[in-house]
Amino acid sequence: MEHIVFGIGITALTGALATVAGSAEDTESNIGSQGDPNSQVQLAPQMGFLHRIFNKAVAGEPPAYGLWCALGAGLAWAFMAMQVNAILAIVLGCILAVFVQGVYATTAYLGRTASLAKFGQPVYVDIIKSMTTVTMAHAFIAIFCTVALCQLINGALGHPFPLPLLALIWGVALGAAGSATGNPYYGKERQYQNQKFGAGVPISASGNIVRYAEAGERNSIDNGFFTHKIGGSASGVCFGLIVFLELWRTILFERIYAGWGAIAVGVLMILIFTVIDRYIEVWARKNYGPYTVAKEADA
Amino acid sequence: MSVKIEVIAGGVPHDKIMIAGLVSTLVCIYLTYLNAFTNTEVFSFFGGLAVVAALIWGSHTIKVLCSYGIGTGVPSAGMIAFGSGVIAMLLATKFGMLAPIVAVVLAAVIGLILGYVSNNILNMKIPAMVQALTEMAVVGALTVMGFAAMITGGFTFTGLTTSTASFLGFPITSYANSFLGGGLIAVAFLLGAIAIQHPFNACLGPGWKQDRMLMLTAECGFLSMIVAAVMSFALISAGSALISLLVAIIGWAYTYSQFFEMSKRDAAAWLDSKPIPDTEGQ
Repeated sequence: MEHIVFGIGITALTGALATVAGSAEDTESNIGSQGDPNSQVQLAPQMGFLHRIFNKAVAGEPPAYGLWCALGAGLAWAFMAMQVNAILAIVLGCILAVFVQGVYATTAYLGRTASLAKFGQPVYVDIIKSMTTVTMAHAFIAIFCTVALCQLINGALGHPFPLPLLALIWGVALGAAGSATGNPYYGKERQYQNQKFGAGVPISASGNIVRYAEAGERNSIDNGFFTHKIGGSASGVCFGLIVFLELWRTILFERIYAGWGAIAVGVLMILIFTVIDRYIEVWARKNYGPYTVAKEADA
Repeated sequence: MSVKIEVIAGGVPHDKIMIAGLVSTLVCIYLTYLNAFTNTEVFSFFGGLAVVAALIWGSHTIKVLCSYGIGTGVPSAGMIAFGSGVIAMLLATKFGMLAPIVAVVLAAVIGLILGYVSNNILNMKIPAMVQALTEMAVVGALTVMGFAAMITGGFTFTGLTTSTASFLGFPITSYANSFLGGGLIAVAFLLGAIAIQHPFNACLGPGWKQDRMLMLTAECGFLSMIVAAVMSFALISAGSALISLLVAIIGWAYTYSQFFEMSKRDAAAWLDSKPIPDTEGQ
């Protein structure tokens, strides 16, 4: 019993860490226009729409976060092997991982923009200075929380995988959660606020992203500020739920039928979520979909 | 059948880069074997240089492959390079001194099979696919081996799976505290996989320049070498790790500043806190 109570406590803690990580990850990737919104930011100058949006496409979010988290964990593991205190080791590891992330971000922006010289897109030095540091700060929170939760899974729950391997798996999951949950809010809504809601991106509007703000020209920090409210929170809840439910079912049911209990509960949870997702999708289409005839038009 | 949408205009031909990359990577990996002869670990940094050489070759291969309109496939090209390479590398470490050569041969065979499957069974029909996947598997295997040699001081299976630590004055053998047991191979895998795809992914576009992309590859290689050198403090002597770290920092600082210069050279304009230019084609 004591073992289960302890396990549930750790599970709650990892779930909380994962929620913070998911939220920070989505905001970081939105400020850097990473993931699927990137293609439109990249395309805009080619269609004649020059902009001041930060564009750091290192890779898709899952592989990129796989690297940042595995790197932070690998360095933390190395510091711990050198007898450094675990908390200090994780902080130091994450600082170095964030340094790598920041360097990759600057080279991605410079490389992409320099290759678009033909269309007149200038390199903005102030964007490199101001946006890179903001993404690094968010990335630090995301990486630190992920590596810390991996350390809890490894140290407190006794998971057999070494820390860097666990961080790789959860880093990829973190990137996938942020990419799948938060990105559509930036890529489909924020970039296309000038289009009809729910209309998708018609070919004629390709590259015509919103480039001007309420006052002056929009930059990526505005995008991070905007998307953090809903996209960031949704990503946080998504990743937090993934981590929490995964560990919760393992802790509670792994002793039933030598582990098969946990697997059965996992399958059951997937089925329940499929039903919920389908219900929400149908409900949303019925209420917000653009493909039905408007009622006023009938009269 | 995909259509090639870009041509490699000017610059060093790919075959030359491939041969130079293969030879210099193998030479650098073998130079780490001086550790075994001299019974030290000071030559470990050659593993990092092998990584840089292999990545330069590999990123140019990705450029050749992805010129066939595989825009979104650039990061996945890096993943398949290392996914296929790591198998060959792990098996090859069982062959002692012959490990790098065996890794090249095994990886080439795996890459060849994957290329055949992609082109003939999945019907991708991309002309450069078979050769590119073969090259990338070899690059992946050699890069992970370079990281292994740099972090542990050697590339034999025993060296990668065991380490000796002293406990209460007695030397004890630890399996958990090693390159494989500690999961550092996962870090090496992703360090290489992101570093190999990033240069072309970042520099693609109408203004692509070979020298700028390859300088960025060298920068990514040295950047990965910096963090690998920090990790190597846990497994090799502090002095040897320090040499790796110094070499990496010097190489990174030079290539990073050069990349900035080249981006400045190629960019349409280099502005600081200026509005969007008026010359828009709206």
